Amino acid sequence: MHNLGFALDGAWRVLLAGLVLGAGLPVLFALGIRSLAWGAGEASVDASGVTAGTKRPLGTVLGYLLFAIVVAGVLLGLTFIVASGFGNKISFEHIYPTIVPK
Amino acid sequence: MILALVVVTALAFDFTNGFHDTANAMATSIATKALRPKTAVALSGVLNLIGAFLSVEVALTVTNAVVKIQDKTGAPKAELLADGGSGLLLIILAGLVGGIVWNLLTWLVGLPSSSSHALFGGLIGATVAGLGWAGVNWSGDGSKLDGVVGKVLLPAVLSPVIAAVVAAVGTWLIFKITAGIAARFTEQGFKWGQIGSASLISLAHGTNDAQKTMGVITLALIASGDWSDTKNIPFWVKAACAVAIAAGTYLGGWRIIRTLGKGLTDINPPQGTAAQSGAAAVILASSHLGFALSTTHVATGSVLGSGLGRPGAQVRWAVAGRMVAAWLITLPAAGLIGAVMWWIGHLIGGIPGAVVVFVLLVAASVAMWLRSRAHQVSSDNVNDEWEATPSGPAPAGDSAAFHSDPVEADSVPHASALADVEAVVQAPAEDETDAAITDPAPVAAAN
Repeated sequence: MHNLGFALDGAWRVLLAGLVLGAGLPVLFALGIRSLAWGAGEASVDASGVTAGTKRPLGTVLGYLLFAIVVAGVLLGLTFIVASGFGNKISFEHIYPTIVPK
Repeated sequence: MILALVVVTALAFDFTNGFHDTANAMATSIATKALRPKTAVALSGVLNLIGAFLSVEVALTVTNAVVKIQDKTGAPKAELLADGGSGLLLIILAGLVGGIVWNLLTWLVGLPSSSSHALFGGLIGATVAGLGWAGVNWSGDGSKLDGVVGKVLLPAVLSPVIAAVVAAVGTWLIFKITAGIAARFTEQGFKWGQIGSASLISLAHGTNDAQKTMGVITLALIASGDWSDTKNIPFWVKAACAVAIAAGTYLGGWRIIRTLGKGLTDINPPQGTAAQSGAAAVILASSHLGFALSTTHVATGSVLGSGLGRPGAQVRWAVAGRMVAAWLITLPAAGLIGAVMWWIGHLIGGIPGAVVVFVLLVAASVAMWLRSRAHQVSSDNVNDEWEATPSGPAPAGDSAAFHSDPVEADSVPHASALADVEAVVQAPAEDETDAAITDPAPVAAAN
């Protein structure tokens, strides 16, 4: 049963990549949303009426920064789809992704 | 003549492939109302069209993973080319018919089964009938992941589990992180997260799945001597396949979207984002690593995982069990239909044989389409609650009856209109259908 070995070998790689990209990016996205919410501040209601929350620019900036990382991850995915359509693949040997022929 | 039938049948398969798999990308976005149903299928259709044209590198050797009808360059085996390649054409035709009939049947009962498995199953069945057991590439030569076991069975077992783990972890973390944040931030933000990840899946689907049909049609063209280049495919084949899969996606397999989006578990936008990004990452990572897996299995696994990961969410295991049952029988059932079709075509022989097989396909398709009319699922009612509420009168029995059962289990109104052989072909699958869709609780509610 060589196939079982090959399959399990492939499976843990897919699981690892899936966890890093498939769970990691949404987590960053969620953190981004949390930062934005924090940056917008919390409104409070008391006897004198509604008080708008204090804005925290750091949170807003951090939030958009995290979104940018997520967008970069999505672009990497897009590049991969387009590149493999044209018979290329993405190589990570220089750490940053480069497109090389398959 | 046979070639024309093969091309039409292959495009028909591509079309069913499209509408069968709309759910994989769009079911969760539709269920959480991130996108309106019509917008979702339109977006998915366009992305599938683009994706299909992006596949410049053509999988002409697509059948090599499971059957031995081509050599390594993609040219058909010489011994199959006698008499204008009609031997090979009949195998392809019978295999495609097996795939289409199974796709339609699973659509009728609203189960997301793998279209690739249906195609491979049909081809395997037709090959066994035509060339014997040795004509099938069961487990490859041991040097890499190959054959029916390596390319189809093992990934089918592993991929839903991987996708479920990824989506469960993602969902759990997202709920931890966003706990206590105002809904206006989470709802809005995660809707965009869903749309983005769903679009990636649609694009990847277009590049992967349309290619298979392109490869099959080109193989048929080579077999009949109308094309000889094994490096490229005719442009009209690419255009026709792209349009067929996009049109199928746009039509939308609403029954399957409903099962995946509403039936398996109740989904909200953060879960949808986790499920879709998990699915997108697993699909792209596996195709990067050359570990072929089915989009359907991944999408279903990730939706299930997002139900497991959210604290307090309920997973309807009965629905999940039905899906797994459908996956298990997809390969043998499509194979059986493919084999029977090959025998029918072979016994009658020549062009009349191929015509009879084609007519049987049309008859079976029309019959299933007519049956689907009894309880329609469309963009209007795709998001209705899964469980029918017992309180209140059932309005005219129609919408309530729909909840109980996509198809009436007891009556087979149109089967009698078909030829005997057709009944034989459908019989094994029909049993499974009846068993699979009988769900006592909602039936009682409808009554």
